[in-house]
Amino acid sequence: MTKRFDSLVANDGIDLVVEPGQIHCLLGENGAGKSTLMNVIFGLLRPDEGEMLIDGEPVWFTNSGEAVRRGIGMVHQHFMLVPVFSVAENVVLGFEPTKSFDRLDYAKARDDIRRVSKEFGLEVDPDAIIEELPVGLQQRVEILKALDHDAQLLILDEPTAVLTPQEIDALMTIMRSLADSGKSILFITHKLKEVKEAADVITVIRQGRVVGTAQPTDSEGTLASLMVGREVILTVEKEVRSPGDDVLEIRDLVVRDDRGLPAVNGVSLDVRAGEIMALAGVQGNGQTELVEALAGMRFVESGTITLRGRDITNKTPREILDHGLGHVPEDRHRNGLVLSMSVADNLVLNTPRRAPFARHGSRNLNAVRDNATQVVRDFDIRATSIFEPVSSLSGGNQQKVIVARELSRPLTFFVASQPTRGLDVGSIEYVHRQIVRQRDEGNGVLIVSSELDEVLSLGDRIAVMHQGKITGVVEPTTSRETIGLLMAGVSEEPARA
Amino acid sequence: MTIAAARTPGPPTVRQHFGRTRVMGLSIGVIGLFIGVVFGLGSRAGSHTSVTWSPVNLSSAVPWHLGTLTVPTRLSCLILGLILVALGAEVVVRRPERGVMARFGVAGIFFLFTLILWTGRTLGPSQVSSINFTAILIGSSGVAMVLVYGSLSGVMCERAGVVNIAIEGQYIGGALVGTVLASTTHSFIIAAIGGAAIGAGLGWILAFLALRYMSDQIIVGVVIVTMMAGLSSYLNLQVLSPYPQYNLGNLAPPLAIPLLSKIPILGPVFFNQSGFFYAMMLLVALVSFGLFKTRWGLRVRAVGEHPKAAASVGINVVRVRYINVVLGGAIAGVGGVAFMAVQGQFQPGYTSGLGYIALAGMIFGRWRPSGAVVASVLFGISVYLAENLQTYQIPVPTEILQMFPFLITIAVVSGLIGRVRPPAADGLPYQRD
Repeated sequence: MTKRFDSLVANDGIDLVVEPGQIHCLLGENGAGKSTLMNVIFGLLRPDEGEMLIDGEPVWFTNSGEAVRRGIGMVHQHFMLVPVFSVAENVVLGFEPTKSFDRLDYAKARDDIRRVSKEFGLEVDPDAIIEELPVGLQQRVEILKALDHDAQLLILDEPTAVLTPQEIDALMTIMRSLADSGKSILFITHKLKEVKEAADVITVIRQGRVVGTAQPTDSEGTLASLMVGREVILTVEKEVRSPGDDVLEIRDLVVRDDRGLPAVNGVSLDVRAGEIMALAGVQGNGQTELVEALAGMRFVESGTITLRGRDITNKTPREILDHGLGHVPEDRHRNGLVLSMSVADNLVLNTPRRAPFARHGSRNLNAVRDNATQVVRDFDIRATSIFEPVSSLSGGNQQKVIVARELSRPLTFFVASQPTRGLDVGSIEYVHRQIVRQRDEGNGVLIVSSELDEVLSLGDRIAVMHQGKITGVVEPTTSRETIGLLMAGVSEEPARA
Repeated sequence: MTIAAARTPGPPTVRQHFGRTRVMGLSIGVIGLFIGVVFGLGSRAGSHTSVTWSPVNLSSAVPWHLGTLTVPTRLSCLILGLILVALGAEVVVRRPERGVMARFGVAGIFFLFTLILWTGRTLGPSQVSSINFTAILIGSSGVAMVLVYGSLSGVMCERAGVVNIAIEGQYIGGALVGTVLASTTHSFIIAAIGGAAIGAGLGWILAFLALRYMSDQIIVGVVIVTMMAGLSSYLNLQVLSPYPQYNLGNLAPPLAIPLLSKIPILGPVFFNQSGFFYAMMLLVALVSFGLFKTRWGLRVRAVGEHPKAAASVGINVVRVRYINVVLGGAIAGVGGVAFMAVQGQFQPGYTSGLGYIALAGMIFGRWRPSGAVVASVLFGISVYLAENLQTYQIPVPTEILQMFPFLITIAVVSGLIGRVRPPAADGLPYQRD
C-alpha cells in the first residue's frame, strides 16, 4: 500500500498481514507513517496504490462506517467519545437500536452493553457519563464500542500514552484475553517495553516503509536500532554535579483549570541551582497548569512562587521572563510560536522591544536578521531561509527555534514542558544536551514529561504528580514500579494492607 | 456579538470563587429586594392598583367574569419581593442541582409583573383606570411566539455545531415573502410554506459557505442579515409601496379551541390564537422529542459535540449539518411569516433585532427547546411592555425595558449567573483529515 501527500510519501509499499487471535505490534517512531497506515485501513484516508484483503476479499473503505461494518474497530489516541453522552449513547452511536418513530431503544442498548461487558470482562456502567469517568475507563468504553460493533480486528493507536503503569497492565490483560477469544489486535506504539510485553508478532516501520519484522524475544536494543536505523544511546550522558541552594520555591500552590476545578491542589516544591528536577505523572494531573502558573500564564488561586528570593506569584509573563525565566511551553503551536511569522521574528519573540532588536519603539530589523543568522547556525536549525514562516519547518526544528530563543539570553531558571514530544531521535538528543548544559551552568531546571524514560534519564531528582498533588520526590535510581505507584496516587509509604 | 467571545474558556472568574448557584441565588434575592424596596416601599401606603382579566380577543362571550381586582400596591409588591428573597435564600442555602434557571425565570416574570402593578397604582381605591393583564399576556404571546420560532431555529443549527446568527435575516425574508403570498393567495398556509422556503434558502447559503468553504459562521450570518435588511428596504420601496395590493393587512385570525379557550385568565392566552401559535407549540414538542429521544437527535448532538467521533462511526457530519441548518432556516422563515401575521403588514426594519433576542433566548434556554420557551416568554413580555408601556403611562424610560433581554443574556453568557455550556463544536468548521 502506498499513500502520498503531495511530494511526501507517507506510506511506501507497506505490506502487513494480521492473523486471527494474534497481537500484532506496529512499532515506529513518531512520523514514521503508523497513523497514516491506520487511517487508510480505517477508511479515513484513501490509498494511492495497493490492495487490502479481508478474509481473501479485496476491499477499500471510503468512510470509517464501512470499515466498522466490515469488522474493523479502532481505538484512537484521542478518544472518539462524546464527553457529555452516557456510555450507552457513545457505544450505540451510528448503530442505534430503535423503536417506532425513530426512538432510541435505551433498554436494548443497555442489555447489549452488559452482555458484551460480561463476555469480555469489561465492566462499565452503561449510564455513566463519559467525562466523569477516569481515562482508563474511557478507553475501556472505546474498546467496548468496537466489540459491540462486532469488530474482528481491533486497532489500538498509541493506547498507553495516557495511562498509568497500572492501567497499562490492565490493558495488556484485556488485549491478551481478546486475542485468546479469536480477535486480531493491531497495537501501534513507539514504546519498546510494551512491545516486548504484549506482541506475538512485531512489524517495524521507518520513514513510511516496513524495515523488518522482529520477535518479542529480541532485545530492546535490536528493536530500537531497527526503529531509528542506527544504534541509539538510550540514556543521557551527564556528569554528577552537586546542586547549590534553592532557586525556585513553590509553596502550597493552588491553581484552577479551564473548567474552574483545582488542577494544582497544594503543591510545594523546591528546585536547587544546578539541578534538573523532573516532574513525572500521567498527563492531565496538573503538570500543565503548574507550569502555566509558573510562567505567569495562569492565575494562582493561593500559595506563592519565589524565584531567586523574589515573589513572582501572579506577576505578568513579561515580568517573570525579565526575571530570568526561560520557558518552553507544552503546546508549541499554540503558546510557543507565531506560526505565520518568520523564523527570525520568532527567535526574538521574548525580547522584541529590547535593544538591540528595537530602539525608541521601532524595530531594528538588521539586528533581528543578524541574530537569526547567528542562532540558526549555533543551534543547527534546518530552515531554507530565516525569513520563511516557522510553520514550514519540521516539528523538531520548530522546537529547536523555541529552545534556541529561550536559551539565547541569560537565565536563572529554565522550565521545559514535554520538551521532546514528537521529535526524532536526533533532535531529542540535541534538546537533552541543551537541558543538561543549563544545569551545568548552575541554573535550576524543571522538566515536565509524561515519558518515564526521559524523566528517569534526565532528572537529578524526580517529583511525581497525581491529581494536583506531589505524591513523592524520589531519586532517579528508584524503580519504575515505585514511580508507577506514585503516578497512580499511592503515596510513598509502604502499603498498609 | 458577545456570544462568540464568551465561548472560549478563560481564567477563573468571580462566579467560580463563589459558586455559580450561589451567585444565581443572590441575583434572585437582589431582584426580590429591589421589588420590595423600590416598588413596595416606593409607593405610598394608601395606593392601590386595579387589574382586570378581560379576554379582549375572544369574540364570543365567555361564561365567566372576574371583574376588577383592586390590590394595595405596597403590600403586594412587598409580598412578591419577599417571596423572591426567600426563593433566593433557598437557592443559596440548599444549592439545588436543577431548576435554578427556571427560578430565575420566575424572578424575571415577577419583576415585570410588579413593575406593572407599580406603574398602574393610584392614590386610593379607584375603578377609573385599571390594567388589563390578560391583554398584556395576549400581546406578549405574539412576540413570544415569534421568538420561540427563532430560538428553535438556533437550537436546530447550533446543536449540530453551526452558529446561525442569520435568524434576523430569515425573519425578514419570511415576513416579506409571507405578506406577498398572503395578500395574493389569501392563504396563510401558502404564506407559511413560502416563508419556510426563503428561510431554508438563506439557511442553505449559510450552510454552503460555512461547510464547503469553512467561512466564519458569524460573519456569514451577519452578512445574510445585512443583505436581507437592504434587500427588503429596496423591494419595499420598489414593489410594495407602488403596489399596495401585495402588502394588504393580513392579520392571522384567531382560532378558538372549544372549551379550553374559556379557561379563566390563561384560556384566551393559550387557546384562542392563530394557527402559527399552535404550530409553534407542536414544533417545540417535536424538536424536543426529536433531539433527545430519537436516533436522529443523538446523531445531531454527536455532530455538534464531537464531529470526529461521529464521523468515526460512519455518520456524515457535513450532511447532518446541511440538513439541520436548512431545517432551522425554514423554522425561522415561518417565524418571519408569523411576525408579519401578528403585525398585519410588512414594513422594513419592523423586526428590529428580534432575531438577536431569539438567539439570546436560545442561550438563556441552554440550547434546549423547553428552555427557549421559558426565555421567549420572559423576553416576549419585556419586549411587548417596552413597546406598549406608553399606553399605560409608565414613568420608566422604555429603553430600559428594551435592554432587558440583552442585559440578562450578557449576564448569562458572561457566566455571572447560571452555567451555560454550548455544544462543544459549536461554530467550529469541520474538516475531514
